[in-house]
Amino acid sequence: MVSKTEQTQLERLENQVDNGGGGAWEYLCLVRKLKVRRSEKVLKHGLSILNDHRKRSSLGSEEWTLYEQVAVAAMDCQCLDVAKDCINALMKRFPESKRVGKLEAMLLEAKGSWAEAEKAYSSLLEDNPLDQGILKRRVAMAKAQGDVSGAIDCLNKYLETFMADHDAWRDLAEIYVSLQMYKQAAFCYEELILSQPTVPLHHLAYADVLYTLGGLENLQAAKKYYASTIDLTGGKNTRALFGVCLCSSAIGQLAKGRNKEDKESELQSLAAAALEKDYKRRAPATLSLITTALKSLKVSS
Amino acid sequence: MGAAFVVGVFGVLILAHATYSTIHYRELLKIMEEEFSGPPINVLFELLLGFVLCLWAALAVPGKFLSILPHSEENRIVSLPENLDFMIFNHRGKVFPTVTDLKLKH
Repeated sequence: MVSKTEQTQLERLENQVDNGGGGAWEYLCLVRKLKVRRSEKVLKHGLSILNDHRKRSSLGSEEWTLYEQVAVAAMDCQCLDVAKDCINALMKRFPESKRVGKLEAMLLEAKGSWAEAEKAYSSLLEDNPLDQGILKRRVAMAKAQGDVSGAIDCLNKYLETFMADHDAWRDLAEIYVSLQMYKQAAFCYEELILSQPTVPLHHLAYADVLYTLGGLENLQAAKKYYASTIDLTGGKNTRALFGVCLCSSAIGQLAKGRNKEDKESELQSLAAAALEKDYKRRAPATLSLITTALKSLKVSS
Repeated sequence: MGAAFVVGVFGVLILAHATYSTIHYRELLKIMEEEFSGPPINVLFELLLGFVLCLWAALAVPGKFLSILPHSEENRIVSLPENLDFMIFNHRGKVFPTVTDLKLKH
């Protein structure tokens, strides 16, 4: 989870490091901790530490973690020579390590030699058939080759064993959404909400899926989940505010004949008011646009 | 942190002194052959002061409080981490590789 203060800290450190203000190691540690994908910057600043003998030796045993981080970043930037050098250095230090073996197989992946990578992963799995990292790499490999249904099969098999792995559920949900299989995606998001009920972004994604599915019941549920997102984010999520407005407007259209809508009309007008206030504060130039849009949805009072 | 730590040490010293005073008081009572019903009021005050100082130091010394994310006013969750376990390298970065002359030298 990346919280607001962690995000601002990351941005501040990124600025500082980019402008040559030092603190590269703290930046790399934070990137690792928050699991954000900043491959180009990690490659640049990580290499500058690794090439400086004095800085490198001051890291102690953390040096090897940095080698691994830089190797993965280099693969992501297609700087395969650098990745190869890093892996060789790790290889020299840890000749029998499975973790380095996984990196080598990932290098094969980055080169695009899928058959060899598959062979490497299988041989790693022979020693430890329940290695989560490697099972996940196989899913990623199927995805990288464009074999989405293969990736789904693989992930489903993986999730039968590791049901508590929310990252995998999230990936599966994203794959299903990309294939427009919203019912299946909704199931995955339900699992995610069950396992991490305090993460607003799962509620938001679930509400999006329900809204896309359509139908009166789904729309009503979507509105509730948008409302819970607003609750969990303290009203700072613009998408959730828009979601409430759109849902109420759609419900109003569907339930035109039945006149029981008065009960919930307060929520949408509050959301509309919050949206207008937010736009007034952050983007006053577009305020007129948002007011007309909300008027056309018939939600603002 | 330094000041809070000193305050904590001071609190522990006060508590130790309160213990010592109580023992001393009981010995005095034994000589005077009276029953012990409770420590004197200044020792009670000392105890309370020591307790408050220790409590404050214990809260202040170990580090800052972390926010409970769904409830804090300013510090909410804004994004999820990237799913790096499922990272794929077969993206547009492959078509437009970053031109760098970076090398690992040893």
